[in-house]
Order: sequence, then C-alpha cells, then structure tokens
Amino acid sequence: MSITATLRLLIAFAILVLLNYTLRPLLGWRTPMDFLIIALLLASVRVRPGVAALIGCAMGLAADSITPASFGWGALAMTAVGYSASWLKAVFFADNLLLNGLFFFLGKWVYELLFLIAARRLHGAEMVMQALVWSPLSAAATALAGIFLLVLLRPLLETSPA
Amino acid sequence: MARTARSGTRLDTVLFAVCGAFSLLFAGILPGNVRESFAAGLRRTVVAPLVSLQRRAELSRSAFLTHDAITAQRDSVAVRALGVAEIESENRHLRALLGLGAKLQWGFVAAEAMHAEDTHARTPSEDYTLTLTAGSRAGVRPFSPVVAPGGLVGMVRSVDPTMSLAITWADPDFRVSAMTADGSAFGIVQAHLGTGPERFLLELRGVPFRNTLTPGVLVVSSGWGGVFPRGIPVGTVLGEVKTAEGWARTYLVRPAVPPPEISSVMILQPQRVSAGVETVWASVIAADSAARKVSAAGDSIARLAAQEEVAARRAALGTDSLAAAQQAAVPKTHAESVAVATGAIVSRPTPVPARPATPRPATPKPTDSASARRRPPADSARRTAPRLDTLIPSTIPSAQPTGGRQ
Repeated sequence: MSITATLRLLIAFAILVLLNYTLRPLLGWRTPMDFLIIALLLASVRVRPGVAALIGCAMGLAADSITPASFGWGALAMTAVGYSASWLKAVFFADNLLLNGLFFFLGKWVYELLFLIAARRLHGAEMVMQALVWSPLSAAATALAGIFLLVLLRPLLETSPA
Repeated sequence: MARTARSGTRLDTVLFAVCGAFSLLFAGILPGNVRESFAAGLRRTVVAPLVSLQRRAELSRSAFLTHDAITAQRDSVAVRALGVAEIESENRHLRALLGLGAKLQWGFVAAEAMHAEDTHARTPSEDYTLTLTAGSRAGVRPFSPVVAPGGLVGMVRSVDPTMSLAITWADPDFRVSAMTADGSAFGIVQAHLGTGPERFLLELRGVPFRNTLTPGVLVVSSGWGGVFPRGIPVGTVLGEVKTAEGWARTYLVRPAVPPPEISSVMILQPQRVSAGVETVWASVIAADSAARKVSAAGDSIARLAAQEEVAARRAALGTDSLAAAQQAAVPKTHAESVAVATGAIVSRPTPVPARPATPRPATPKPTDSASARRRPPADSARRTAPRLDTLIPSTIPSAQPTGGRQ
C-alpha cells in the first residue's frame, strides 16, 4: 500500500473513530451502529491478517478501557474479527456496496457473538435475545451506516490506479 | 516466493496468537486491580480525548432531549407569571374590601360586579351599568349606594330577587351632592362625559365662586339628598374647568374608583345609610387633610426661601442695604412663616413705619396681611447681617442692634 493510500486510510480511520465517540452517543439508539467495527473492517481488508489482528487488539483495548468490567474481552473479539476479515478479504473485497454491507453486518454480528460468549455477562433467554435480536439489529444499523460511509468516503478509500 | 508467503502467513498467525493471548491475559488472567490500572492509564492518555468527546456528545443529547420538556415547563411558568399581577391585584382589592367590611361592620351586602362587556349585553348606555350578584333576597333595595374600598361606585337602579343592576358614577344621569373633605365648598358631582382620556372623569359643579379649590383636594359625598350618606370619597380635584356660568365654578374631578377596578363592591342597606358612614373613610379624609397642610407648608417655605434669596442679593449688591437692615430688625421666626402659610393666626409685632422726613428708595410696603406674608422672616435677616459687614462702616450711620435706621 502506497504512502498516499495509507494516509487516506488513516484519515478515514480517524473520522470513523471520531464518529464512534460523537455521533453514536448523540444518537443514543438502543441498537447502536458501531463505527469502530467499520473502521476495523475497512483497515483489515487493506493490511495483512497479523497487522489486522494487532489493530483489532489495540482498538479493542482502547474501547474496553471505558468499560473496565469487560476489559480484554472486547479486544479479543476485535482481534478475531480483524484477523478473520483480513483473511476473508478475497471474498468480500469487491466494489459492491451490498457485499460490503453484508461484510459489515457479519463483522459486527460475529464481534457481538464473540463478546457475548467470551464475556458471559448475559445468561439464558436474555443472552439469546441479545444474540438473536439486538445484535443483528445493531449489525444491520452498522451495515447501513457502513454503506453510507463508503459512499461518502469513496474518494478517500478507493485504490489508486498505480 | 512461496517461502516468503509461508513466512508471512506464519508471522500473521504468530501476531494473531500474541494479540489473542494478550487480550486473554487482560480479560481473565490478570487480577482486577492490574486490569483497572491499565485501563485507567489508557483512559488518561490515549482515550482521554475520545472520552471527552463522548461526554460532550452525551450532554448534548440529554440537553436536546430535555429541551422540549424544559421549554414546556418554562412556557407554563411564563403563563402563570402573566396571571400573577392580576391575582395580586385581585388579592389587594379583596383585602381592601375585607377592610371596608370590617369598618362598616353591618348594614351592607357584598356582591360581585359584572361589567357590560362581561355580560355580553353591549349597548352604548350599558358602558355605565353594572350587574351585581346580589338582589332583593339579600336585602338590596333600589337607590342603595354602591361603594368600594376606594369610595363611591354608583347606585342600584333596579333589583331582582337574585341580582340587581346599578349605574356607576360614569352614567350621564348620575348625580351626587358633594363637598370638599373639610366642608369648605359644596357642589354637585356628575359625569364629565369627555372623550379620550377624559371619558371617565367627573365634574364638581355649582361650587360658589368665592371657593377656590386647589388640585388634589378630596371630594366626598355631603349626605344631602338622602341617597348617599355623608363622607364617601368621590374623587380628587384635578383642576378648574372654564364654563360660561359666572356665578359658580366647575372643577374636574378624578374618580376615587376607576371603572376598570370595579370588581367586588359593597351595597349599603337603607339602615346603614341612615346611620352614616363618616367613620369608615375618616382615615382617608384625615390623610387628605394632613397632606394638604403639609403641601401648603412646603409651598410657603419655598416661597419664603425665594424671598430670602432675593433680599440677600439685594443686600449684597448694596442697592438697598439700609432697607435690608430695617427688615432684619423685624422679628419673625420660621415657625411663624409656616403657621402663616397653613392659615394659623400668629400674633405679629407691628412693623416700624418709614419716616416720611427721610424718604429712602426702599420704603417698606403697607402692612396688610398680604404684604406681611411676603416680608422676609427674621432668620433671613440674620443671614444678611454678615453681608452688611462687607459694607464700608462709614456708610452706615448707626447699624445698631435695635434695628433703628437713621
């Protein structure tokens, strides 16, 4: 990846991180969109799986620092998502918005499931409800936001002709 | 090439394993205090700006969500605040009415007064009509006086069992025999029937020409005629109205009870009218009397002070220094001046007349009462005395304390 492309990716990444800490709490939805996952997935498909795992781990730790009760579990889930996304980029790395939306949806849902299973903060019906209702809804919101942002940030994220 | 790819894959796997192990280390292996200290370190450094952003965003959201509720709350408070002045006014009026009831003690009927606008029976004549919520069953009779804490409101014209109609003083047919509070002048009060600001004013007509009333004089009912008892405040004199009548004066009177303030009233029953109500508004009349005396005294003092100033200037200029010295010899105290102004009889020493043999430019005025009042008092003479010191002694033949002038 060229320096220009790396800079563009960093700018897009910073915008998404900022959106996660400004727009998300401002909206305050019950099924919030996760801009960190979008940022992780966008970065993961552009770097090697090991680097993606590293980015996921760093982002997860930073995000977990605000919720000390589940500190580490989010990092673990993000590491897994980042690594997997980087491996699966051959499948999803296409200039198709719907495929990218599906990619965001799966990434977010898998992250939620991993987090739920690993952190074990919910049990029984509540956990099922979270895993099968709220998490997919949140993943859908994330996917829609991801598609919207892909359109908006296309000048930053498109690959250079060289 | 294939070896490079394999080594890259191996490196990725190692990195993934390290990251996973690192995350697991924090998630389940390290004790809580170590985990918390690491998280706190992140919060204070890398994540601090993001946490600050998140806090502000949450504050903005809560402000946005509570804005409507706060606006609705503020609007309701504003609406209530708008009514507070009216409630306070009504409260003040009702308290005054309670005070009037306590003073009257007996022989009255309390009633609410509804204006023509309230009853939707709007004709030109009904601008001056009140509908009272008390009728013959409560003891109201035709021609009963209607009063408010401020004074006279009107008179009952017709009575039904449960309600009655009254005309206010603004009615063109309304008349009440009136007098000044001190009883020095009598006349008939009726509506002025002016336009604009003068619409709701009264006229005191038929005041003898010899009686001059100053603005602010209280006018009360005289008790003549039998309808209105003596001593109900009608209004205060605003000024004289020039009319074609040469034998009497007419004065414009500001009513004691303006029409908009008529809401709750008292209807006096015939027995109470017979018994009189002079003691009810006695404090108002006494206050008016005292105010007039204080005002007159103040005017007198101001007039005398002006005269003192003129005399002092004249003395200083030396144009009439000897006349000033003679005036200084006339004893007159400040208290006398006030008493003169208030009309009290004060014994005064006879002024020394000017000697005809030696006429001076400043000969004293004749000693009639009017000129005596204009004379500067003794204290003003004392003020001018030091100014005499500035004159050349040789020009004053005998400036003795006896006050004689040669």
